[in-house]
Amino acid sequence: MAGSTQPLLVIEDSDEDFAAFERILRKASISNVVYRCVDGDDALDFLRHNGQYQDSTKAPRPGIILLDLNLPGTDGREVLEQIKQDSELKMIPVVVFTTSSNPKDIEICYQCGVNGYILKPIDVKKLMRTVQVLIDYWFEAVILPNSVRG
Amino acid sequence: MSQSKDDSIVQSIDLTAYDKEFLHLSGSVQPHGILFALKEPQLEIIQVSDNTFELLGFQPQELLNKSLKDFLTAQELLFIEGCLLKDFESVNPIKLSLNNSAKVKNFDGILHRCDNILILELEPKLTQEERDFIRFYHFVKGAIAKMQNASTLSELCQNITQEVQKLTGFDRVMIYQFDGKQAGKVVAEEKREDLPSYLGLHYPASDIPEQAKKLYTLNHLRLIPDINSQPKQLIPPYNSITNKPLDLSYAVLRSVSPCHLEYLKNMGVTASMSISLNKDKKLWGLIACHHYSPKYVSYEVRTACEFLGQVMSLELTNKEENEKLDYKIKLKTIQSKFIETMPSTENFMDGLVKDKTDLLSLVDAQGVAICNNGDFSLAGNTPNKSDLHDLLEWVEAKIDNDIFYTDCLSKIYPTAEKFKHVGSGLIVLSISQMQKNYVLWFRPEMIQTVNWGGNPQQSVVVEQDGRLSPRKSFELWQETVRSQSLPWKPREIDAVLELRSAIVSIVLRKADELARINIELARSNNELDAFAYIASHDLKEPLRGIHNYSNFLIEDYAEILNAEGVSKLQTLVRLTQRMEDLINSLLHFSRLGRVELSVQQTDLNELVSNVIDVLSISLKESHVEIHIPRPLPAIYCDKVQVSEVFSNLITNAIKYNDKATKKVEIGFLDGNHSKKELPTVFYVKDSGIGIKEKYFDAIFRIFKRLHTVHKYGGGTGAGLTIAKKIVERHNGEIWVESTYGKGSTFYFTLQGKGG
Repeated sequence: MAGSTQPLLVIEDSDEDFAAFERILRKASISNVVYRCVDGDDALDFLRHNGQYQDSTKAPRPGIILLDLNLPGTDGREVLEQIKQDSELKMIPVVVFTTSSNPKDIEICYQCGVNGYILKPIDVKKLMRTVQVLIDYWFEAVILPNSVRG
Repeated sequence: MSQSKDDSIVQSIDLTAYDKEFLHLSGSVQPHGILFALKEPQLEIIQVSDNTFELLGFQPQELLNKSLKDFLTAQELLFIEGCLLKDFESVNPIKLSLNNSAKVKNFDGILHRCDNILILELEPKLTQEERDFIRFYHFVKGAIAKMQNASTLSELCQNITQEVQKLTGFDRVMIYQFDGKQAGKVVAEEKREDLPSYLGLHYPASDIPEQAKKLYTLNHLRLIPDINSQPKQLIPPYNSITNKPLDLSYAVLRSVSPCHLEYLKNMGVTASMSISLNKDKKLWGLIACHHYSPKYVSYEVRTACEFLGQVMSLELTNKEENEKLDYKIKLKTIQSKFIETMPSTENFMDGLVKDKTDLLSLVDAQGVAICNNGDFSLAGNTPNKSDLHDLLEWVEAKIDNDIFYTDCLSKIYPTAEKFKHVGSGLIVLSISQMQKNYVLWFRPEMIQTVNWGGNPQQSVVVEQDGRLSPRKSFELWQETVRSQSLPWKPREIDAVLELRSAIVSIVLRKADELARINIELARSNNELDAFAYIASHDLKEPLRGIHNYSNFLIEDYAEILNAEGVSKLQTLVRLTQRMEDLINSLLHFSRLGRVELSVQQTDLNELVSNVIDVLSISLKESHVEIHIPRPLPAIYCDKVQVSEVFSNLITNAIKYNDKATKKVEIGFLDGNHSKKELPTVFYVKDSGIGIKEKYFDAIFRIFKRLHTVHKYGGGTGAGLTIAKKIVERHNGEIWVESTYGKGSTFYFTLQGKGG
């Protein structure tokens, strides 16, 4: 499968949410490498190889970014904007994965060019289904940009 | 009257002809004095009145072409020649004694020039007493003091009639005042007790023709000692210098026009005197004196009267200015009252409604109608509401620069004839045409308000066949003012426009305030919106943690835990789900009022069937019978929100139902209301458990539940609150009727008044 081995970047401030996410990936036997950034600044450093991520082997370009919107410091909406305005990074699909059902947020994200917007359900079964669908779609069904190299 | 054939005077009493009469070219004088037309500098007599023989003893032919000098003493001649260089006003009258051999006569001589011709008029002194200037001075001084002390115009008029009566001894002294259309009325009167009163009488403009009015402005005092005396012709009729009849505009002896004679005759008057009252160089009115026998008034007394008239003219301006000032103060008081009350009222029009009496006195109207969004609120005498609606419809197009006014409405709007007794005069002030906010002031037909100062049937005793009599004049005047109200004064129109500016500035201020409040509201709404989302997000995150970790415990440690432990964890999971439901409901409810309604024509049949489709997926109830007795109408509403109302009500109808077959009926009531345009009442009826009457209101309160969580599928208690809020946002109402144990019916409307 085309992009199945590409790493996944999860930008998520909540440890519990991240732990649940990882657990679901494990249970679903998904083997992609998962990198985590805890806030917006951290994520932008990771993507641009700044700060602690000078070594690009430690911060490879992700095949897909999962982004929580409500982040401490540089907020998720801003991170999305920066990514989508950056000629290098804008090709990376970004899927917002958030609790916010605010129509304004949904609108702003799509205006910025987000590739998907998913609400985090509370129910664990729903959450498992959602993550499964997400992975199946992006790592099985879809051809990611840097998977076809000349 | 004897008239020479070549005389061009029209001896007709046709009023229009009278208007065309050249009164000042009458070619004759009253017989009580002599008139000389003199050529300067030699004072050659070129015309003389045909009564010199009676008064002087010379035939006119003996005097013509001679110099006046031949008849004067050296002293008199010197005096006259001195006068010719001065302002005649200051020298008149000149004491002259023209002597012939037979007799010596003392005269008052009055000089003036007209068309470069010197005119000398002589009036014989009837009494030999030396005029006492000091006596006059005292008299006039007292009269002036009284006039100046008068505080109102009507008091001033009353005072001057008394003073002139005292000074002259006329049987009747009146003040005539002309209105804007030159019709007149008697505003003050001093008379012999036995005479009928003319106070309050009106007469048409034609009673005093233009010609005569013009002469009144030129010559401020006019005396007719005896209307039965024969006028004396000037000899020759044509003046040799101008080759025209002599212009007698300023001559005190000018003969009386036939029309005026007829007028006086019809009133039974023998002698009359009138003094002009001018204001701003226009004839404002007259002091009219009548006597019922011949009466001569000496030149000095006339001069004193004329002087009083001039003082009165000055005072008129003062008094009217004072009244204007008083009116302005009153106006400002009224306006400031409005300005105080208006901002405190919800709708600025309510402020107007509160002070209807002030609105009436603002323009001296008898009725006022305030139209607010097409609803009328009335005070005083006005047409009825249905007439007002028609009138407003007609007048809206006529309003120019926010105002329309007329004092004869039926002339332009014939329908008004039927309410002319209250609405002959109309001012319409438009405050907002968009909102249909108007103020309409009404005045009755003038005839309704005319005051005769007594019974008109008895007030005029002298009745002649001629049409020029007070009674006939009054009738004629009444004809001319049919369907007319008293005219609106310019200051009243200004006041109305000023009121409008005041209102507009208040409204604008309020609008500004409102805009500020709206901005503030929008800001706090946005904050609230953001707050609701952030709060729900921040609440959900730990909740999700609890939920997930409980689940992980169950998954990972189920074999270590006993059944009780597992069940407690399951409870924990269930509670987190419940908590999430509550948070979602609260968020949804808090946002409902702030989402713009998207109203469109909606087929309720389609809407309800969609709702049922969605519900049957989630409910999977096999024993539900939904019954819609007849097709539902199409209405204007917000599709999404109204779907939610039906969805909540239908869900409840099924949920709170313990029957084997759960029946739900959806329909609407027949609008058999007497009132029109009542909104359709929809209902959702169930065969369920019913609601006790004491909870009829409570069930609509947020999170108010009547049952435990475990019964009837346990909702959050927000469904009905949300339904109520949606219905209210559609200007509707929702209520319930229920028989406990038998079932409930929820009724609601979606288009309230104006919805």
